[in-house]
Amino acid sequence: MTAMGEVLPYRPPRARENTTAYLGMVVFLGSWAMMFAALFFAYGYVRTRSVAWPPPDLPELPWGLPAVNTLILLASSASLQYGLRCIRGGAWKKLGRALLLTLLLGSVFLVLQFSLWLRLYAQGLHPDSAGSYGSVFWGLTCFHALHVLVGLGGIGWLWVRAFSGSFTAARYLPVRLWALYWHFVGGVWALMFVLIFLI
Amino acid sequence: MHEESHPAGVHPEPSGFIAKYIFSTDHKVIAKQFLWAGLIFLAVGGSLAMMIRWQWAFPGRPVPLFGMFLARSGGVITPATYQSIFTMHGLIMIFFAITPVMIGCFGNFTIPLLIGAQDMAFPKLNMLSFWTFVISLVLIVASFFVQLGTAGAGWTTYAPLSTGIGTPGAGQTLVVAAIFVTGAATIMGGINYVTTVIRLRAPGMTYMRMPLTVWGLWLTAILNVLFVPVLGAAALLLILDRSFGTQFFIAGAAGVKGGGDPILFQHLFWIFGHPEVYILILPAWGFISDIIPFFARKPAYWYRGSVFAMVLVTILSAVVYGHHMFLTGMNPLLGKGFMTLTLIISVPAEILFLNWLHTLWKGSNRFPSPMLFALGTVFVFGLGGLTGLYLGTIATDLYLHDTMWVVGHFHLTMAAAAFLGSFSAIYFWFPKMFGRQMNEGLAKLHFWTSVVFITLVFCGQLVAGYAGQQRRLFIPYQYTFLQHLLPLNRWTSYFAFALGISQFVFVYNFFRGVFAGEKAEQNPWQVGTLEWTLCSSPPPHYNYATAPVVVRGPHEFANPEVKKVLGRDWIGQAEELPKFSAAAVKSAARGAKD
Repeated sequence: MTAMGEVLPYRPPRARENTTAYLGMVVFLGSWAMMFAALFFAYGYVRTRSVAWPPPDLPELPWGLPAVNTLILLASSASLQYGLRCIRGGAWKKLGRALLLTLLLGSVFLVLQFSLWLRLYAQGLHPDSAGSYGSVFWGLTCFHALHVLVGLGGIGWLWVRAFSGSFTAARYLPVRLWALYWHFVGGVWALMFVLIFLI
Repeated sequence: MHEESHPAGVHPEPSGFIAKYIFSTDHKVIAKQFLWAGLIFLAVGGSLAMMIRWQWAFPGRPVPLFGMFLARSGGVITPATYQSIFTMHGLIMIFFAITPVMIGCFGNFTIPLLIGAQDMAFPKLNMLSFWTFVISLVLIVASFFVQLGTAGAGWTTYAPLSTGIGTPGAGQTLVVAAIFVTGAATIMGGINYVTTVIRLRAPGMTYMRMPLTVWGLWLTAILNVLFVPVLGAAALLLILDRSFGTQFFIAGAAGVKGGGDPILFQHLFWIFGHPEVYILILPAWGFISDIIPFFARKPAYWYRGSVFAMVLVTILSAVVYGHHMFLTGMNPLLGKGFMTLTLIISVPAEILFLNWLHTLWKGSNRFPSPMLFALGTVFVFGLGGLTGLYLGTIATDLYLHDTMWVVGHFHLTMAAAAFLGSFSAIYFWFPKMFGRQMNEGLAKLHFWTSVVFITLVFCGQLVAGYAGQQRRLFIPYQYTFLQHLLPLNRWTSYFAFALGISQFVFVYNFFRGVFAGEKAEQNPWQVGTLEWTLCSSPPPHYNYATAPVVVRGPHEFANPEVKKVLGRDWIGQAEELPKFSAAAVKSAARGAKD
């Protein structure tokens, strides 16, 4: 009764498995995008319900530093994408350099973000006493910064591995996946820049 | 099995006890882990329900048996304890009993087996999903032992009651954190299920040849992946409000400098919450849409219609959440829009319902325990669906909102139907999971007691709600106009206790089956899906040594040609009819005419 039908051996080629992993990452990021969408929805909701935005005695959010930060994340994404192109051609040393540049740019982003937090905190924008205005600023930027931190961890790990030459033109899936994640985090920041700092 | 027959990504078969049974990456073991965890917490959630029923039947009297947990008040349920009890009953049942059993266990067990895969797409992520779920269980259990006790803001955790102002103490924070963590576990599982179905179907297993169980679970996974993050965002903001002093949900005098809005929490909660109620019923729809044709010995009536109905429900479930908020000062036009969309959902639900009935019509129906539970599911879901129409319609919802009618309605759909649907699946796949059989007589006893008492309990709630009893009242009889409902509530409680006691039949049967049941055959139900036709019971580590080539749909029953050639009324999904002579075809054709 068990001998039923024709059988084929299981042996999915590597390209097929890579596509599966890539799809998994896309599904994950789609899911995470919903979380950020919900956070933006919350922001839009409290903002449309508030009488004054910002409240009269609280500082307006600057846009200069966040604009610079947007460009920095854009540059880091470009550098990572360049590294991805290099490893497709097998140039793992170039990939290593690109990863290092991404790592540096990402760290600069966090440093600038930190200085922004310090400045606004000094101006009286505290998370626990600035109403929903302060809540949105602190809640959303900190949550995003956590994602940058995770991304830096991932790219640092990629850099260590790239440095030891474990990526080749045929095997570079982790670079592809982390690049996707990094672009996502950058995209969320760009949206945050427009929605929270600009308008 | 030779080494080279393994695909590169599939993990090697583990040898040690811990790798095999604790930190396992095998989807079948993870499924059993979820099953045990879910059943244990089903018992906990059920016990809490018994305590609620005791309070409504005999307020102020010490609780028998469970009274020992309430030593400080001499066994009597106090208002604060009562809050915690109904809160944790809801949360535990939804996130820690139904979700692990239906999605964690059967999602894991059936998806790879039914589509002909060796394991999930990401076995390690699968393991991580279970252990993340365990962390959330630890947080839940811990919340009972902190000062001021566990959460008490209702399962919906509405702000501002759930903020630090309404419910102080670490218990509520721990529970909200547990929801966040269990959400992460659900998303990991969801990513796995979605990807597995898209990428790992066996050759020939087209979407329209997938068993409906897989369809139900796949759509569930899509909803999980899209909407559990929204709950995550709500939980995150609530934790920030509680622990870091932000003011997303705090308004009025408590919200300095223009606070947030408690209604925002309801929006976030129900954007997730309405898809969630379909998350809890779609797997059950899938199970019974397969089990009914299996035991009617007939192909499922309008298979594609069932698929499209489920897809339509999945899409519509995302755009109806406002019907939970008709009474929050919503724009009436918006309310009418949500009402219309809500009522439209009953169309695909009706299609599914009619397909089940049509499948039964003129079938060679057999009634073993999985079929009985499937029919019970159809019955209670029908009741739940009909009572829901009055809640989706604004004019009647104004009266019924927040009454026991709501409680009765959602218990019939997502508690009774999910409960009976899960048991249908447990009885159906038990032989395949454990390689043993449960006692059929006890299973039938379990069915009849369960279905009768569960219907009586929730219909009792419907009647109480129609008479105006508000849900969540500590002592409803403090109100003169509700005093005459005491006998009704007492009887409902008696039925609830009977329902609780009758579950011991299952507990005994389950343990007996797992440890001492008779060995199960490979295909005791005589059906054609891959797991029954190509895998031993229980299946080997990799399920299938080689990829099955699927040639037909999942419900190929009563085909006259198959009957003639093979002498049975079913044929496997990967089974081709043997070569036979032209004479045999002719005689088969003659046989069909006779």
